[in-house]
Amino acid sequence: MKRLATASLLLFAAAQAGAQTLDDLKNDGKNTDNILTYGMGYSQQRYSSLSQVNKTTVKRLVPVWNLSLDNNWGEQAQPIVWNGVMYVTNARATVAIDVATGKQIWKQTLDWPADTPRVVCCGVSNKGAAIYNGKVYRTTLDAHVVAYDAKTGKEIWKSKAAEWKDGYSLTVAPLIANGVLITGISGAEYGIRGFIDGWDPETGKQLWRRYTIPARGEKGNETWPQNNNAWETGGGSAWITGSYDPALDLVYWGIGNPAPWASQSRPGDNLYTSSVLALRPKTGEIAWHYQFTPNDAYDYDACWELILADLNVQGKPRKVAMQLNRNGFLYVLDRSNGQLLSAKAYEKVNWASGVDMKTGRPVETDIAKSIRDMKATEHWPSTRGAKNWEHAAFSPQTGLLYANTLHEGRMYKHLETKPYKAGERYMFIENLPLPRAAGEPVGHMEAIDPLTAEKKWRVPLTDFQSWSAMLATGGGLVFTGRETGEFIALDADTGKRLWQFQTGSGINAMPVTFTQGGRQYVTVLSGIGGLYWNIAREQLKDKVPPGGSVWTFALMPD
Amino acid sequence: MKRFLIALALAWSPAIAQDAQKLKAGAEIYERNCSPCHGARMMDPQGAADLRKFPHDQHDRFVDLVTKGKNQMPPWGGLLKPEDVEALWTYVVNADAIYGH
Repeated sequence: MKRLATASLLLFAAAQAGAQTLDDLKNDGKNTDNILTYGMGYSQQRYSSLSQVNKTTVKRLVPVWNLSLDNNWGEQAQPIVWNGVMYVTNARATVAIDVATGKQIWKQTLDWPADTPRVVCCGVSNKGAAIYNGKVYRTTLDAHVVAYDAKTGKEIWKSKAAEWKDGYSLTVAPLIANGVLITGISGAEYGIRGFIDGWDPETGKQLWRRYTIPARGEKGNETWPQNNNAWETGGGSAWITGSYDPALDLVYWGIGNPAPWASQSRPGDNLYTSSVLALRPKTGEIAWHYQFTPNDAYDYDACWELILADLNVQGKPRKVAMQLNRNGFLYVLDRSNGQLLSAKAYEKVNWASGVDMKTGRPVETDIAKSIRDMKATEHWPSTRGAKNWEHAAFSPQTGLLYANTLHEGRMYKHLETKPYKAGERYMFIENLPLPRAAGEPVGHMEAIDPLTAEKKWRVPLTDFQSWSAMLATGGGLVFTGRETGEFIALDADTGKRLWQFQTGSGINAMPVTFTQGGRQYVTVLSGIGGLYWNIAREQLKDKVPPGGSVWTFALMPD
Repeated sequence: MKRFLIALALAWSPAIAQDAQKLKAGAEIYERNCSPCHGARMMDPQGAADLRKFPHDQHDRFVDLVTKGKNQMPPWGGLLKPEDVEALWTYVVNADAIYGH
């Protein structure tokens, strides 16, 4: 009987597979049976109104299935769920899974050259798939974009974005906005010139390319030296999926650090590195930009999530985009025009004393000067940031951001820059640890007010940092994972740990929640990998084995 | 660079003199391509093997590891020529003398 039910479910799914539309994507989150976009909704709030699993019931949350991904490189992806089928990616494969049973429906493996990882600075991984009109889309480590038939996994098209040997790679989850498939490149640590691409989802034809560094003669190029070609190898990756406001028809895409990290050869603001671009999805045209860190000398990548919400700012409702920037400040921008509404430090910052609200520019300190003078300098936050990519969640219920933040300074020094070599590192820095007082936290799990950056609660982490995204729910819970393997649920009001489950490897991925047949499920990938594994592999290797798998949980029936 | 010159001056010998060019080349390759994982000047190797502890009598194993890769270390044979790998080896086995690790 169960088998028949599964079979008919699969048939149903197959019949419906062609039906997800732009409206479905726009309404993601309203139909809780599906998760169709990165961030669980175009606003990337990573919030679900679901409350079956709540502060009271969470003690009955148990695993209902686990599926091995047969991958030792690490799992970072956010699952997509459509009509009872879950789509999961990593650097090696794309897998379709029956959410009711945990059985694998199809798997497509990818074969990239064994030396591709030498142009991937920060984890051989993939952030997830996109889905639209019966196709599943993903990017590949060797800088291609692929479309599969959602039903069968059959490859429909594959397009090359760039040459991996020149330092280009793709790990980003694609975005579908206004009918265009959008991807952002990685590789600033190798001196690429970054870009965001728009593709035709049907054919894989490139519709537009927006370089994140304007060419000579284009507006913005004047912020690069005119007497050298630094702009051609100036970095500006775009490795995290943008958010989208369908009403304004604007995509908000964070842009990464300039290259090389040592800044001597590139005086000027270096647009559009360490900035946010508001783009028209049909054309890639820039509607506005805001630069968080002009002439970034610190690897203060601004790639990650720009969380969209409606906030009351000084008595007025504003449509905002928020970012817990790597540079230590929490920015709130008016997303219609890029106007800066708030910028408050949320962690220890010594390179800038604040952000000038008139000019929108950081006020750099003597620490910044010392770094620019190529002296070894105690630097907070470190190049890894006050927060890295591990995405925050925003709960409209509490009005708070929930984030895994980093508390780390380093002894940072610029070295003399050397000529660019295609496909080789282009950084020229030293970054050594500082002595750390016993018991000093290495990071926090915390709830942050978006406009004041004040902490509603703060849970110190003294063993290892957390590099997993947050998920906030209507059940008053915040889900996240630990590198030591625990999948945990916190009380959204207090930070108290209410529940935990030990998975088989470290968690550095993005939990999601959805419903199936009226039952709430919570899913997370386990499998240590990504930048933190690069950073702490030696410390973790005897404690946390690699090995990817998908864990899905639901309440134990009475 | 100053450091190397001092180290070379202190430990001057015909063997090292012969290797000076190799040492410089190895240091540059290391700084650019290896230090992100193995740590600046081989200090603070966070995500990769501590090269200060690499046995100095295992030259062939070193060449093999660098060229073909192992676990999370990618193969470098497609980028580095055999003489580059030899230069890296010279740098690795002389690091103690240079930095006093």
